[in-house]
Amino acid sequence: MSRQVIATPHAPAAVGPYSQAIAANGFVFVSGQLGLVPETKQFAGNTVAAQTEQALQNIAAILEAAGTDLAHVVKVTVLLADIAAFKEMNEVYSAFFPTQPPARAAYAVRDLPLGALVEIEAIAVLPG
Amino acid sequence: MPREVIHTDKAPAPIGPYSQAIRSGDTVYVSGQGGLVPETMQLVGPTVAAQTEQTLKNIQAILEAAGTSLAHVVKTNVYLADRRDFAAMNEVYRRFFPENPPARTTVQALPPVDIKVEIDVVAVLPEG
Repeated sequence: MSRQVIATPHAPAAVGPYSQAIAANGFVFVSGQLGLVPETKQFAGNTVAAQTEQALQNIAAILEAAGTDLAHVVKVTVLLADIAAFKEMNEVYSAFFPTQPPARAAYAVRDLPLGALVEIEAIAVLPG
Repeated sequence: MPREVIHTDKAPAPIGPYSQAIRSGDTVYVSGQGGLVPETMQLVGPTVAAQTEQTLKNIQAILEAAGTSLAHVVKTNVYLADRRDFAAMNEVYRRFFPENPPARTTVQALPPVDIKVEIDVVAVLPEG
């Protein structure tokens, strides 16, 4: 079974030993994305809303590079630095998945890389 | 690859912008579940044992709606609000996976509602 590395300049470069995504067997596994702006490598803002929006834009860019899109996402994991931000995250998140949203797990962890407020990973299928 | 939303009244309704599960090809991604009773949307009880049992029953109901079962689960993630509940969770968990249990990761993390355990799973469809 083939295993293809996905890389795009339209999403932040990896901050560790991982690929932005791997496509295999009709699925695309996207690494956890932070709310970093690809061009500046800075956070899009210091709110959960701003970082959620940027993280999902990064995921969208990676999925596009892999030949698919947000509508083909099957599973998402949302890691929050503070569970009190669940509602704020959801408000932005739901705009990216207006109908038939993916399966999801969301929870708060002790800390996220670079002091991020939210990290999001996704699994998508390829169209067709 | 097609992407199908799975829904059943025998598991708790989503409390955010996610589907209970997504089936794609031979794979089923189940959203993070907690110990909520579907009929009442209330916690089944205060103990991690009771909540683990209800959580896995909810997952079982979702898997059945997707055409598969706990015996076809390949990977689970267990999020414990308190890692000291590990042994108590395991005692219940192993009853649901009596032999050849799935791959699993367990971490301490805070679920979005006041529950002691959250579990998400990936399953395959039965052959044939």
